[in-house]
Amino acid sequence: MTGPAHLPGQATQSTATALQSRNLGFRWGRQQPLLTFPDLHLQTGEHLFLHGPSGSGKSTLLSLLAGLQQPTTGELMMLGEDVSHRASGDRDRFRADHLGVIFQQFNLVPYLTPLANVLLPTRLSPLRRQRATPTPTAEAASLLGALAIAEDHWQRPVSQLSIGQQQRVAAARALTGAPEIILADEPTSALDADNRDRFIELLLTLAKARHTSVIFVSHDLGLAHHFHHQVCLEART
Amino acid sequence: MKARLALTLALASLWHRRGVLALVSLTLTLSVTLLLGVQYLRSDIRQAFTSTVSGTDLIVGARSGPINLLLYSVFHIGDATNNIRWSTVEELARDPRIDWLVPLSLGDSYEGFRVVGTDPSFAAHFRYGRDQALQLAEGHWFSDTFDVVLGAEVARRKNHHSGDSIVLAHGGGSTSFMKHRDSPFRVSGVLAATGTPVDRAVYVSLQGLEAIHVGWESGVALPGRTLTPAQARQRDLTPSSVTAVLVGVERKVLTFQLQRAISQYRDEPLSAILPGIALSELWRLLGQFERILLYITGFVVITSLVGLMAVLLALQAQRRQEVAILRATGASPGLIASLYLIECVALTLVACVLALALGAAGLTLVGPWLLDNYGIRIGLRPLDSTEWLILASVPAAGLAVALIPALRAWSGSRHQGLGGSD
Repeated sequence: MTGPAHLPGQATQSTATALQSRNLGFRWGRQQPLLTFPDLHLQTGEHLFLHGPSGSGKSTLLSLLAGLQQPTTGELMMLGEDVSHRASGDRDRFRADHLGVIFQQFNLVPYLTPLANVLLPTRLSPLRRQRATPTPTAEAASLLGALAIAEDHWQRPVSQLSIGQQQRVAAARALTGAPEIILADEPTSALDADNRDRFIELLLTLAKARHTSVIFVSHDLGLAHHFHHQVCLEART
Repeated sequence: MKARLALTLALASLWHRRGVLALVSLTLTLSVTLLLGVQYLRSDIRQAFTSTVSGTDLIVGARSGPINLLLYSVFHIGDATNNIRWSTVEELARDPRIDWLVPLSLGDSYEGFRVVGTDPSFAAHFRYGRDQALQLAEGHWFSDTFDVVLGAEVARRKNHHSGDSIVLAHGGGSTSFMKHRDSPFRVSGVLAATGTPVDRAVYVSLQGLEAIHVGWESGVALPGRTLTPAQARQRDLTPSSVTAVLVGVERKVLTFQLQRAISQYRDEPLSAILPGIALSELWRLLGQFERILLYITGFVVITSLVGLMAVLLALQAQRRQEVAILRATGASPGLIASLYLIECVALTLVACVLALALGAAGLTLVGPWLLDNYGIRIGLRPLDSTEWLILASVPAAGLAVALIPALRAWSGSRHQGLGGSD
């Protein structure tokens, strides 16, 4: 059930290409089978919905896109750079500078306040710090405000926040410093329907304002209509 | 910037886990206090021991080994093999190389405490510790034949004060059946505590000692031959012999020459020892156990560091999600590993600071009580270089111990995918 999600647009302008992959494959261990992935292509500012049943390798693909793992085969271009053959230190730096990540749940460092969690990318990447306008703290405050986190929650222990609030704080962190790409790994699976739709709308609206592409992974096909493109990963047996 | 971030994160993480870590830090604090305390007391006690006598250049006694002479003349342990004739003492006093001498006569006891017969030169010349002279806590030095001055511990244990009357026993031992009942002594003064064997001795004049032994030539009192105090005060009570003599040398460079001359004294066999050297030799014999004690406490610290490592490794399992978040945000495996190193070193530093505070507070509280009850003088002083070295080795060992969880975190986070569960 592959859904080749190729865009009709011209793939020639490499500067406008957020992401392009060819023949990506990954093996977790020598004895493990090779996981292969459909080719992806995404223009900056456009959003992609990755859909697939559990066990289809969604998380593995996200690990490759995040640069946490190196692909066994194929190549991965991000923002016009070949990131698949870089050293792990370079990939870490690239991730800090250009990517935002949202997990399914438990997104926040437990011993930092929500505000400090949002500021984390600007402390790890000078580029993100520069892009956070006017100042990192001011941007974090405006993002938290836009994501409807009341100001009296900013300094509370993260354990006192509801799951919906935690996910929105995580979204604020992913958006801080205007990264080019946000990787979201089923960020709404723990939310109820109302919260889910509100979360996706807020995330996509704020991403649009920053020309940030969102790659959104979910098994819930009902969310697909929010996105420009969708790719379906096939189930493996 | 990264270093500051690592520091902030590590400290915030420590504070977050303070409940569990407080117990580990407590163990570590107590073991470091123990280690530091043992080393501190070790050097203090050695210092106190080797300066049991100071200012005295030579101790002269009948021919014997240096340790033996030291033991009976200074520590009042054991007995002299022989005495020194009074004529010899007088001849020594005429020697121009000798500045002063203090005769000591031993043999009797009071309730198990040694009686030391001496003369006023003892109060004038005896020094201990860092050139400290003896102080009287109450009363005055003996002026009458039957006056006695008590060491601090004797007075405290027997609850004596100036003016009390006491009866000395003939010979040593705590239960003597032969007492000098005819001639009771009056306590004229009590010495302040010194932390030396002086505290456990009773001081009388040579004349007093001589007086109570008139009529005891055969070892027991012969009825009718002993003196009443009134008769004694009329007699010439110059002793015929003494047990040992403390000597102060006029010019220190002549000490060895004088020592040789005394050892080769032609009229009777004598020995002269340098108390500092003899004390160091004695300490080398006795001081083995304290080194073993130090090693044991060293192992206690290592044990608690291993415990700390076990806790850090156990916590590591709970930290997978947090590591995944930091990694996804762009933190390198090195930053993750450095969190473990910083946390462990910070914990050991906290333990060291607490141990210092605990040790200082303990000494301040216990110090005066120790001196009063046990005659051990231990005060606060700045740490010496060995102690600083021992203290500094604790965070260094903490760093070494943290390398194991840090390496695990480093290699683990290199292979961890997105999310904490992979």
